[in-house]
Amino acid sequence: MNVQPDRRDIRILIADDDEQIMRCYREAFGDSQDTDQVKALDAMDAELFATNPELEIAPKFDLVACSQGQDAIDAVKAAADDGQPFAVVVLDVRMPPGIDGVEAGSQIRAMDPEVDIVFVTGFSSISRDELERRVPPPAKLHYFNKPLSFMKLASDVVDLVNTRGTKSPA
Amino acid sequence: MSNQLGIKSLQEKVSLTLLAVITVLAVLSYMVLHGVVAPAFDQLELAEARTNLTRAERAIQSDLENLSIITGDWAVWDDAYEYVSGEYPAFEVSNLDRPTLINLNLNLLAIYDKDSNLIWGQVDYDDAELMPEVLSILDPGTDTAAYLTRHTDPENQVDGMIMTDLGPMIISSWPVLKSDSGGPIAGSMIMGQFLDEGFATSLRERTEVALSWSVIDRNDKFESTLTTPLNIVGAGSIHQYTTSSEIVSSGLLIDLYNAPLLRLEVRTQRSISSLGNAAVNAALTFLALAAVIVAVVTWFMLRRIIVRPLATLASHITVIRKSGDLARKLGGERCDEIGALASEFDKLTGELHAARILLLDQSFKAGKADTAAEVMHNIRNAMTPLINGIDRVEKSFRAAEKTRVERAIGELVQPDCPPDRAKKLFAYIGSAFAHISSSNEEAINNLEVVSKQARQVEAILTDQEKHAQVAPVIEKLNLDEVLGEAVLVIPQVSQPEIALALEENISELSVCAHRVGLLQVMGNLILNAYESISRSDVPDGRIELSAHQEEIDDQPMIRLTIADTGCGFDASTRDQMFQRGFSSKDGPLSGLGLHWCANAMATMGGHILAESRGPGQGAEFHVLLPAAEGGVT
Repeated sequence: MNVQPDRRDIRILIADDDEQIMRCYREAFGDSQDTDQVKALDAMDAELFATNPELEIAPKFDLVACSQGQDAIDAVKAAADDGQPFAVVVLDVRMPPGIDGVEAGSQIRAMDPEVDIVFVTGFSSISRDELERRVPPPAKLHYFNKPLSFMKLASDVVDLVNTRGTKSPA
Repeated sequence: MSNQLGIKSLQEKVSLTLLAVITVLAVLSYMVLHGVVAPAFDQLELAEARTNLTRAERAIQSDLENLSIITGDWAVWDDAYEYVSGEYPAFEVSNLDRPTLINLNLNLLAIYDKDSNLIWGQVDYDDAELMPEVLSILDPGTDTAAYLTRHTDPENQVDGMIMTDLGPMIISSWPVLKSDSGGPIAGSMIMGQFLDEGFATSLRERTEVALSWSVIDRNDKFESTLTTPLNIVGAGSIHQYTTSSEIVSSGLLIDLYNAPLLRLEVRTQRSISSLGNAAVNAALTFLALAAVIVAVVTWFMLRRIIVRPLATLASHITVIRKSGDLARKLGGERCDEIGALASEFDKLTGELHAARILLLDQSFKAGKADTAAEVMHNIRNAMTPLINGIDRVEKSFRAAEKTRVERAIGELVQPDCPPDRAKKLFAYIGSAFAHISSSNEEAINNLEVVSKQARQVEAILTDQEKHAQVAPVIEKLNLDEVLGEAVLVIPQVSQPEIALALEENISELSVCAHRVGLLQVMGNLILNAYESISRSDVPDGRIELSAHQEEIDDQPMIRLTIADTGCGFDASTRDQMFQRGFSSKDGPLSGLGLHWCANAMATMGGHILAESRGPGQGAEFHVLLPAAEGGVT
């Protein structure tokens, strides 16, 4: 997690206590470098059919994963201290036995007013209004119900960052 | 109730307390009456006995004084003086004879000259005229005779009692003087009365005292038994002893020489102590009766005012505790503290009943909400990898789709395809198929993930199915209350106007059922009836709710009937309407939840039936539920 990212990396923190879900996150937000086979195929494709493989390069994510709300708070604080704040923080709402994602989001918001916070949950009794009250502002608060496509989520995160501008380190 | 509660009942405690109070009161009364009052009567009686003795003594004293007066009258008289002096012999003829003794009630009259010589004398004893010589006390030369016949002082008379040969006698001796009490002393005048039975009878009549006397034996030790000084004749003491019927009081009467002569004895009937004992016994009887009456009245009043109402309240509380029926009311119109207690208890149970209903509803809803949240959370978590697996499968296939194998083959089949390009195209096609193959392999792996996640979802649903088998809480429900809530499903402004009729006896019946479930069933049935009437052409639609208890297979059941004047149905519809998925929305019935209603009734130990005489002739739905006997089960 301390690997120096290049300028196109999107720093993202994901907190979820379900290891299986986390594996899905890793697959969607992880390193999507093509294999040699694909690179060779893309090269032949470019040579034979005059296509430009550079146009299809997907953005890369600098993913930091944790399973508890307190770990997420600590990671945000450490990133801020290192001058490498996260662009997006994705939080599960229910992460027993520690504090829940809403409380973690509230504390993270207090440390970083700019970060986009995304709540993802299977079910929560907390209303959207309550979330907006505890983790303002609404423009930087996003909410997704499981089940969801993490590839779609990754795409949405890219759009979100592209729209608001990344927080990649200078 | 004491056995049930393991403690003494209030009634027993009150009874024991009253019994203890009465017992203590009786003992105290007995002690006071017999220890203080009765002895006071005894003292009064002893005092009366002393008084009687004194009265007897004073009567003798009085007779002695009268005798002295008579003797003095005769002794201080000129005629007697002259007679003794020998100057008036006719005095004897005119005054000294037996009638004189009788008239003066004398037994002895003797006249002596100054030398103690008897001039005239007579003793009347037992109707016989005797000479004074029969009395040895008057024998010349005796000390007594000298004492009685030799007066040296005109003022000195001798009065007293003396023992004679014929019995005890009161005697008076005066010096004979002139009528002006002048002298010199001419002689002595002696008069006496025997203390015989006649004398005693006279005393008894005058004093109304049962008196008697006996001569003292000079050798006896009577003096030593005296207890109280007696101010009667001479010195003496009163001695008293009691028998069961009388008090015997005695005292000593002394003679001229202050020696004990007679023992005067007075017997006093114990009338005072008898009256006292009777009064004490009457008082005790009265107190006992009063105590018993007070105790009985108090017991009845306490029982009526406190014990029974409290016992009723305690029994009511016990019934509520055992049955759990918080809707049960004690009622009553008492205006005292117990009435207020009962009223407050009714209010308390009423509030608890309402709170329990609310809690049950909330608990049911909360339970459902919690279950739903948990199930949703688990299923969504399980479906997330499933969806992402599908995404990856799609991605794999999209990777194959991106290849331009078809275009490469198209160029290869062209006759003018250069050999170099053909060679490269063959190489491209080979790489593309290898990529497609690896993508397919990746897709297969992802499909396995999808399959695994699908099985996980199925496992979650299977697990929930087990929870669905848990029976709902069955409680005692009052039909009036349930139906009052269930009929609220009918719109307030119904068109056409539908009359809703509830039989009066519904409020008296209770069933054992799951509150929310029964509410939903009855709400569905009533709403069905309403919709059926709304869809029919029958004017003046009416829904009637009735209930009665009946025995089914030896079990008391409540039959709830919802009758409507709506569309009705045919036999074919009736046979299908409780089947899963059946709906007759296009027909007379909406079929809303009837399958669920039937299942819900089955979980409550009841069932549901439907009847109709045919389309357009209304319908009846019968809900059968166990009658409530014990409350919450």
